[in-house]
Amino acid sequence: MTSQAIAEQPMPKKTEPQKYSGKPILTMTGVRGGYGDADILQGVDMQVTEQEIVVIVGPNGAGKSTAMKAIFGLLKVRGGSIVVNGTDIAGWKPNRIVQHGVCYVPQVNNIFREMTIHENLEMGAFLRKGDISESLERVYTLFPDLKERRNALAGNLSGGQRQMVAMGRALMLNPSLLLLDEPTAGLSPKYMEQIFEITRNLRDAGLSILLVEQHAKQALAFADKGYVLAAGSNRHEGTGQELLADREVAEMFLGG
Amino acid sequence: MPFMEFVNFYLMPGIVLGSIYALGAVGITLVFGILRFAHLAHGDLATLGAFAALGVVTIFGVSPWVALPAAMVFCAFMAIGIDKLFYDYLSERPKIIVVMSSLGIALMLRAIVQVVWGVDTETYTRGIVRPDDYWGIRIRDREIYTIIAMFVIVGVLWAFLQKTKWGKAMRAMSDNPDLALLSGVDNRKITMLTWGIVGMLCAASGFFLGINTELKPLMGWTMLLPMFAAAILGGVGRVEGAVIGGLIVGIAEETSVLFIPGEYKAAMAFAILLLILLVRPTGLLKGKVL
Repeated sequence: MTSQAIAEQPMPKKTEPQKYSGKPILTMTGVRGGYGDADILQGVDMQVTEQEIVVIVGPNGAGKSTAMKAIFGLLKVRGGSIVVNGTDIAGWKPNRIVQHGVCYVPQVNNIFREMTIHENLEMGAFLRKGDISESLERVYTLFPDLKERRNALAGNLSGGQRQMVAMGRALMLNPSLLLLDEPTAGLSPKYMEQIFEITRNLRDAGLSILLVEQHAKQALAFADKGYVLAAGSNRHEGTGQELLADREVAEMFLGG
Repeated sequence: MPFMEFVNFYLMPGIVLGSIYALGAVGITLVFGILRFAHLAHGDLATLGAFAALGVVTIFGVSPWVALPAAMVFCAFMAIGIDKLFYDYLSERPKIIVVMSSLGIALMLRAIVQVVWGVDTETYTRGIVRPDDYWGIRIRDREIYTIIAMFVIVGVLWAFLQKTKWGKAMRAMSDNPDLALLSGVDNRKITMLTWGIVGMLCAASGFFLGINTELKPLMGWTMLLPMFAAAILGGVGRVEGAVIGGLIVGIAEETSVLFIPGEYKAAMAFAILLLILLVRPTGLLKGKVL
């Protein structure tokens, strides 16, 4: 596509949620909050519907990871609502949110280094009672590399495999919404592609995924929807293709 | 010096003392790994456990071996209670405040022992036990039981940590507390469970020191430094490391008499602690960095 063609694309307006027809899993409305007294999020609106990959992109310090932590109850939410599966979870503690079907994979320190892969997955299912073998089997099918090395200490794995352990741990509770905070940070292109591939497979299997991603172009290419955050509030939104085609978004946030 | 003399008078007593240190060091390493502070009341909790067993022996007239489990249960509840009253109350404050409060707890526990049992030296049983001879190794029954009991208690703990859901949750909390909380592990339950186990280990180490020597209100306090040396030597947070560390410190103390005057025996733990902190601060088995 020439730059002329990009310029002729209509500016995407704030698109209305009804454009995405599925059942809403997560709806954030006017969320404000931060770690200390200052608000980092200045009113964030976001929606993730059933079986959808939503990517949050934006410059450093825009509040991408902060928005994700707000959903998971890791910072003070001072305004707005965060509705997951019909219930407002703003202000809940993380362990209650986990039970409500939301699982979160932090960007760093996201595995138990001194425990085996298998034990990491078992810890993911800590809140579940009864048999977990089916979930274990499902995770091992998604990540065959992990099954081979199930008794290896997670701390001894490569970066890509650690990320798989971290995602596998989060999937053990069969969440309806998965939050991934920069899952490909510091990974080789091969592993990045593999993580993206798994993310798409999870979506196709029925999961809703909210993704914060530095590799914005690659992620928007397969995302169902994207939000551009800047300075703690919404700047743009649209389907992945729309955002990629938007000249302003491209210049400001995707590196031209 | 003949080899058997070395084994009988230096090595075996070292292993017995090391087993006692190991029981205490495992508790210290658990508190360090999971609750992340240096528990200075550890020795005096062991004293309380030893005297609690003495109380059971004098009141019910039973064998000290029957009193051991009772003392372990008693100390488990004491440790959980102390945590509820003091450490938990301070848990949001800087760790150094919790450490200093544990020093206060140590003095309180010692005072309780002195008020209830007096300041005199006590024993579980009277009379002198002669060591038996096993193929040239001279060892008393109670010494054999001490070594076996240490390995059994630590073995049960190890299996609990490796195989059970809550044991794994304890390891997870030690490994990555934030992620453990994100996985839905209840911090409060893990803390109580840890103190229960630590209380039992304390009582056992105090009891075995008491049965192999005698009971004094200061018995646990004097064990504190060697137990810390053992925990750090083995690698903080590593149960198997604490056992190895305990045995090394115990054997080093007993064999040091061959080279230095006996009065300086207690300095061995200090020397080991200093050396390990200078040379390999993560300990033999790569524990947490202090």
